Amino acid sequence: MSSLEVKDLHVTINGSHILQGVNFFVPENKVTALLGRNGVGKSTTLKAIMGLNPGTGSIKLAGAEIVAMPTHKIVQMGLGYVPEDREIFASLTVKENLALAERDQKPNYDLVYSLFPELLTRTGQRAGTLSGGQQQMVAISRALLNQNKILLIDEPTKGLAPKLVTEVAKSLAHVADQATMLIVEQNLALVKAIAQNIIVMDQGKVVFEGGPENLQDESFVKSMLGVSGGHK
Amino acid sequence: MLRWKYSRPLLIAITIIFAILPFVGNNPLSKAGLQQTMAVAFLFGALALTYDLLFGFTGLLSFGHALYFASGIYVTAILINDFNWHFLLAILGAIVFTSLLAALTGGAALRTSGITFAMVTLAFGQAGHVFISRDFGGFTNGDDGLPVNPDRLPDFFIGVVNTKYLYLLALGVLVFIYFAAWWITESSAGRVFAALRDNEQRVSVLGLNPNRFKLLSFVLSAAMAALIGAVMLIVSGSGSPRYAAADITIALLLMVILGGPVTRWGAVLGGILYSVLSTRLNVLSEGTAFDSLPSFIGGPLSEPAFTLGLIFILIVMFAPGGISGAYYRARFKYLNKGK
Amino acid sequence: MSTFLLILITGVGLGALYFLVASGLSLIYGLMGVLNFAHGAFLTIGAFTGLWISTKVFPNPTTWTFIISMLAGGIAAGLFALLMEQLVINRLYNRHIDQALVTVGVSLVATALLGGWFGFDARFLPTPLWFTKAITIGDAIIPVDRFIYIGVATILLITMLSILKFTRIGLIIRAGVENRSMVTALGINVRLAFSTVFFIGGFAAGVGGVLISVFSYGVSPLMGGSWLIYGFIVVVVGGMGSVTGSAIAAMLIGVTNQFANYYLTGLGDFVVVIILAAVLLTKPSGLLGKVNH
Repeated sequence: MSSLEVKDLHVTINGSHILQGVNFFVPENKVTALLGRNGVGKSTTLKAIMGLNPGTGSIKLAGAEIVAMPTHKIVQMGLGYVPEDREIFASLTVKENLALAERDQKPNYDLVYSLFPELLTRTGQRAGTLSGGQQQMVAISRALLNQNKILLIDEPTKGLAPKLVTEVAKSLAHVADQATMLIVEQNLALVKAIAQNIIVMDQGKVVFEGGPENLQDESFVKSMLGVSGGHK
Repeated sequence: MLRWKYSRPLLIAITIIFAILPFVGNNPLSKAGLQQTMAVAFLFGALALTYDLLFGFTGLLSFGHALYFASGIYVTAILINDFNWHFLLAILGAIVFTSLLAALTGGAALRTSGITFAMVTLAFGQAGHVFISRDFGGFTNGDDGLPVNPDRLPDFFIGVVNTKYLYLLALGVLVFIYFAAWWITESSAGRVFAALRDNEQRVSVLGLNPNRFKLLSFVLSAAMAALIGAVMLIVSGSGSPRYAAADITIALLLMVILGGPVTRWGAVLGGILYSVLSTRLNVLSEGTAFDSLPSFIGGPLSEPAFTLGLIFILIVMFAPGGISGAYYRARFKYLNKGK
Repeated sequence: MSTFLLILITGVGLGALYFLVASGLSLIYGLMGVLNFAHGAFLTIGAFTGLWISTKVFPNPTTWTFIISMLAGGIAAGLFALLMEQLVINRLYNRHIDQALVTVGVSLVATALLGGWFGFDARFLPTPLWFTKAITIGDAIIPVDRFIYIGVATILLITMLSILKFTRIGLIIRAGVENRSMVTALGINVRLAFSTVFFIGGFAAGVGGVLISVFSYGVSPLMGGSWLIYGFIVVVVGGMGSVTGSAIAAMLIGVTNQFANYYLTGLGDFVVVIILAAVLLTKPSGLLGKVNH
């Protein structure tokens, strides 16, 4: 079982009540996209699930309550996280960045290097000197090394050149087959390609939960997300 | 109302009683020894308050506050001894000099913040200590200390029999500093200081320059420290390099934490208590009070720093608001009883 | 020329001692954000342990007994550091100012404890005879002890860098200094890293304490204070969280201090303060600093 259930999640940061009672369900083995305008609380939600932001309410991962658990214990339950802005360790090499992320007895380097062959040639390079796209590869790889029940991915294509967006999209699609994924993404084309479920947030609450076919509807997209339906 | 309505009249009454006691009948405060101890304690209470303004109120963790205290002491002494200034003018001169010194050092230090700021202030404080104890330029007489010329001070401050006037002087300075601190913190500038402690961004968003206010807080507390230093010179008779040591600033930090930051009276109480405790513990240890204990226990207990340090650790871990914090918490509970 | 060489090597020797104090401080602040005022106490505890070994346990000092003294001093200080971390620092998780304050309290208590037990007068630490000899390099006559400090510090530097580079806990520490929350987000419990860093820091300070006793001709409960201040200065100049930075800064400051003391008569401490101010006002994160606390 690897579903995620969030009930009445409240998060206050520095006096701002950012999440005001968030409710949603992430079905297992499906890709769920978390959408919404900038600043509605999407990243905050992911961080709250991770235990990086303190929240009240209920978060159940595979049936277990994790809302008050320390981050490292939550992750050890089988959670892979790709943060917004990647947050790889600049002073460590690529190899060290990946080694740090190992949890399983046999981490899946085959998968990582087959998706991102470029990393194989740069194992000794200091991660801080990698390009944005390469850093993103490292960030995603970290989440793929272990057998995870669920992947939390925060804006993986942000700031990437279009060609890289396609590469990342392909790798995510590849993994999407075998994982439960909750992905925050502004790129609607990518979302349309891989999501089987969408959740829309506005002002710290969930305002829509349903199927991705809704994204084909221009008026839906405009009213929910304030953008016109994505391009490649 | 969190403040007990009789607290202010009570404080005034206590102050008046303390002022009168040395002059009436046969009570502990008629003895010159205790008068001297209390005079020093009052001055440290005032000094702790100036540190509270900086650290508790404005949130600036400075490790070099002793520098301005020592500057007050030494500049006053030098102006009186070497330049023959009238003692009142000398005090004024010391305050002005120290304010300028604080503007310079504070201006430099405030280009950093947080831990780095603490380190810069520590460095400046250390530089001052080195300057004084190594006697550069022959101003300070180094480790031997710098006695002030008693001929240049009013007669009623000289001599053991006149200790009660030194006591009054110290109490007077404490009251003055208390009012000054009260006025500053309740003023609009004071509100900005408090805002700086909590959220600097909000201050700049309001169009106010945070650094100007930080510098103001820094210079004001330094100037007050200088005044206290000048009076300490008169009360103790001489300056000494140890007044510039980091130990003094650390002691101030302890005093503020002990009494509780931000409440004003907390810092004063903490200062007085700490000063009295450490003098008393010192006296005890020189005497025989701890001789009956096995030296394993008696040894450390006779060191004031041991007990004070232990109390300090316990307060930081379990009662972070210090004495005044505990008081207000208890009062809050009492007020909300049965609601 | 001979004086130049003597001052230079003394400066490097002094720098070696500063490094022993500063390296642990740097890692502790870098990884945990704790400004450890009790580090001087680690130094002193190490010195007293070394004293005990060199006087009560082995009354006749030889090279081997001295090595044992250093190791014992390091271990004693390391264990004390670990104890402090478990009992006190741990409970104040993320309350950085309170953690710093508590270390001030521990420092007071430890100093008073040692002073109460042993008195505050300096006691002499016996060393093997050859420590007091001097060797001749060209024209210069250089006391041997300088080289001992440099040697020990180099060994410790290499050991620390090896631990950081080649072990998993070292990897965790290096990553944690850069971004602690991301390390937890990878499922790693940083508590072990905290304890490790405190033990290593304590150990280095303890070894430093024994050597400083030789350099300063005495062990006293008050010895920690001024060395701690210099330790902080080295950490700030070298960059928080960087062992290599501490090494470089320690050399810089040790050498400058000695040269300034000699050629500018006694202004060594002053010059160091100026270096500190200069670094802080131009590159506040220090020479090799990587921390963003």
